[in-house]
Amino acid sequence: MSNINRRDFLKIGVTAGSFLALSGSSDMVNRVFGKTATPQKIIVLGFDGMDPKLVKAWMDEGKLPAFRKLQSQGTFTPLRTSTPPQSPVAWSNFTTGMNAGGHGIYDFIHRDPKNYIPIFSATESSQSGKTLALGNYKFPLSGGKVTNLRKGKAFWQILEEHDIPATIFKIPSNYPPVPTKQRTISGMNTPDMLGSYGIFNYYTTDPSKIDQDIGGGRIHEVYVIGNRVESKLSGPINTFKKDDPETSIDFKVFVDPINPVAKITIQDQEFMLKEGEWSSWKKLHFNLIPTQSVSGICKFYLKQIRPEFKLYISPINIDPGDPALPISTPKNYAQELEEKFGSFYTQGLPGDFKALNNEILDDREFLDQDDMVLEERLKMFDYELARFDSGVLFYYLSSTDQRQHMFWRYIDKDNPFYDTSLATEYKDTIQNIYIEADKMLDKALKKADKNTIIMVVSDHGFSPFHRAFNANTWLLENGYHSLINKRRQGESNLFLNTDWSRSKAYAYGLNGLYINENGRESEGIVATGAEKENLIREIAKKLENYIDPKTGKRAIYRAYIAKDIYSGLCVDQAPDIILGFNRGYRISWSSPLGRIPKEIVEDNPAKWSGDHCVAPDIVPGIFFMNRKINTQFPALYDMAPTILKIFGIDTPQNMTGRPII
Amino acid sequence: MWTFNSIINKIFDILFLPFQSMNPWIGMIFISLLTGFLMLLVFRYTSNQEGIKVTKNKIKAHLLEMRLFPDNMRVSLKAQGNILLANIKYISHSVKPLLFMIIPVILVLIQVNFWFGYSSLKPGEPVVLKVKLENDYNPLEVDLNIAPSSGISIETPPLRIEEENEINWRISPLKKGVYNLEIYIDGQKVSKQVSVAQTSLSKISPKKVKDSFFDVLFFPLEAPIKKSSPVKSIEISYPDKGLPLFGINFHWLIAFFGLSIILGFAFKGVFGVEI
Repeated sequence: MSNINRRDFLKIGVTAGSFLALSGSSDMVNRVFGKTATPQKIIVLGFDGMDPKLVKAWMDEGKLPAFRKLQSQGTFTPLRTSTPPQSPVAWSNFTTGMNAGGHGIYDFIHRDPKNYIPIFSATESSQSGKTLALGNYKFPLSGGKVTNLRKGKAFWQILEEHDIPATIFKIPSNYPPVPTKQRTISGMNTPDMLGSYGIFNYYTTDPSKIDQDIGGGRIHEVYVIGNRVESKLSGPINTFKKDDPETSIDFKVFVDPINPVAKITIQDQEFMLKEGEWSSWKKLHFNLIPTQSVSGICKFYLKQIRPEFKLYISPINIDPGDPALPISTPKNYAQELEEKFGSFYTQGLPGDFKALNNEILDDREFLDQDDMVLEERLKMFDYELARFDSGVLFYYLSSTDQRQHMFWRYIDKDNPFYDTSLATEYKDTIQNIYIEADKMLDKALKKADKNTIIMVVSDHGFSPFHRAFNANTWLLENGYHSLINKRRQGESNLFLNTDWSRSKAYAYGLNGLYINENGRESEGIVATGAEKENLIREIAKKLENYIDPKTGKRAIYRAYIAKDIYSGLCVDQAPDIILGFNRGYRISWSSPLGRIPKEIVEDNPAKWSGDHCVAPDIVPGIFFMNRKINTQFPALYDMAPTILKIFGIDTPQNMTGRPII
Repeated sequence: MWTFNSIINKIFDILFLPFQSMNPWIGMIFISLLTGFLMLLVFRYTSNQEGIKVTKNKIKAHLLEMRLFPDNMRVSLKAQGNILLANIKYISHSVKPLLFMIIPVILVLIQVNFWFGYSSLKPGEPVVLKVKLENDYNPLEVDLNIAPSSGISIETPPLRIEEENEINWRISPLKKGVYNLEIYIDGQKVSKQVSVAQTSLSKISPKKVKDSFFDVLFFPLEAPIKKSSPVKSIEISYPDKGLPLFGINFHWLIAFFGLSIILGFAFKGVFGVEI
């Protein structure tokens, strides 16, 4: 097995991504589809993570009048989510009308059975095959490629076949956007310029208090010399140079000796910030070779000048005005939005929860940053809503999900780290974002005429995250996994200390558990057939019976056996068991990337205190519609067939879902 | 020098007056045409027109010689040598008009830069105001003040950069207009013009400089700072402006020279000029 660490893992994506930046490999069409006016129109609002219990409670309190109004016009019901209830999986169910067995997205992270290395589930990047070397430079002879791994047709592709226009705004699991003439822009899974899900940079004179190996960020020690700080901002790797070094841009910060103000100079730009201020978007050009550069955008936050200097720089987003990677269809849709609204967040998960989780940003700073995301989204929503006159408008909001993840601890008095004084300040954070969603819905209701169907959908609800389950530690302690060196348990990730010749099972990702199967895994030891099937059922049963010694509760509510719950052409790629955690539990922070700590269950100390990667029955989503429906238990995968039926299109054979009207 | 600049400024104000609310390309075509005419006239009256005509004919004759005798190496080489000599002569004929043209063209370029090179500020779009001090003054030791203006908000306290001998503020325009910011350094007042949300074609003064010949020549739009002032210059980083055409933003200099040359050649017959 190759010796790969997390940085190498990210670099794989980055390398291919950088090539793509220059290859112009996108084959997106260059015109906007949809001139046909449809008698029926559909507006779908996708509020990620909106929870039915919270919606009902706040509707009952009169805080969500638009939701109440929509309910009175038709339907409000919990919506069956995906298994597992992770956003990429759930929104893929929504998009394709299939379960994960059909579209092939089972988790944020999959693994390559040939080398036990984690891979991104939704996207595959590949480099140019051959290069021409000239001194320190190398030139690709063909373009790279980035592929959306989700299988099955998206419902807007089917609408296109029937000449029905659609605008699909930021739907998750659509990076790169699937080929279409419809107007689409990619959402969750869209990488930053480093090819990751978002890596921030933090410059401080006092890095000692920060874990240097924090996920999703880089810490840089700097010195204030003569009221000046000098450092570098790293960009994408330069695949035009030997050994693929990172590009970087020098910058300087001048600070006043007394006043809390600084000036930042970077490339040909200079701007001033007061302590505690965010900059607007700054456009940066990373030079690759004299004639080639790629453009990215980022924001600066001057957290503190004295006594310690602290400067945060957001992940470098793909520049929508000059996208280095394909983020929209047609290609100029992103540019159109940029011309209208200026630069905007293109990164899939724009709220920097990693910076909050690692205490680089505090609660207020995170909210300020997420407010900027929300402000951009609301302006674009008004724009798209105003010009919507035919077909389908799907509009997605991520802040509902991200704020619940990070601020659940303030509405959950059972959280082990509940802080009464801070709760007074932040207890309404989640409610407030629901109220913002209600205002969006109100605008949509006002826009709607009698031929407009309005649907509000969330992909899952929410659950507290108190206790973290180390699935691989459980496997180890139950004899299903073996280590090379027991004394080094917990020191490495990516299973670098695993003895595969004696390991029968392993867990990767947020809910997946795999059997080390002979013939599938490169060092598999479990025979295909009865041995494997018996082992799956044995492990599933034991997992469901596992009791957390601290709470006396079951950690696993249900352990789902893949072949029992999935159907479709991609079932063979599924994890063998899907861990459906109990309320209050989730996979630990170490387990998804193959680290094996000593404890099976531990407290979750993180600010990331709400989650949904549990059993799907625990976290249904929401479904509202201004029409009555024909079922009591609609599911996410019913949405695509329903939208198609409204336009008179029959449900394709390969869809799992069925129309609900 | 300032009196001279004032006259030039006034001339260009009048020239561009009809174009201020139009697409900037129209103003650019107009000034390029005017400059083209100016260059043609200067060329006609300062160059040796007859000499240019004879030299060009000689070049044509030698080119013909080369085509007629391609197999005769001696004739070909001799023709090439003669073409080279004729070219040198042709260039020498252009030196005199070039010397006559260079000063007016530089004056035109300086003015055109401030009409087409910068965009005025937009309300709510902050920029850095930079005050550079004379070497005898230390930004940490001087007494500083900036007077509030009805159209400009001062958003930060002063940032004093000792190594650059500079004081910076972040200012943000509030509403459309042309404002004068008043800055006091050790009790001495200096002011700087700030243009906000002006018409599509308007002159922008990014820098105000001390009263010295070359500085004032290159930054002619505002009255110079007094020699006795502790301030060396005041600068506002206005955004650059391009001339958009078919999705490409052309730098004004490319547009200006391209159009001037094209229009100059187009009208050389009308003016009876041999170029």
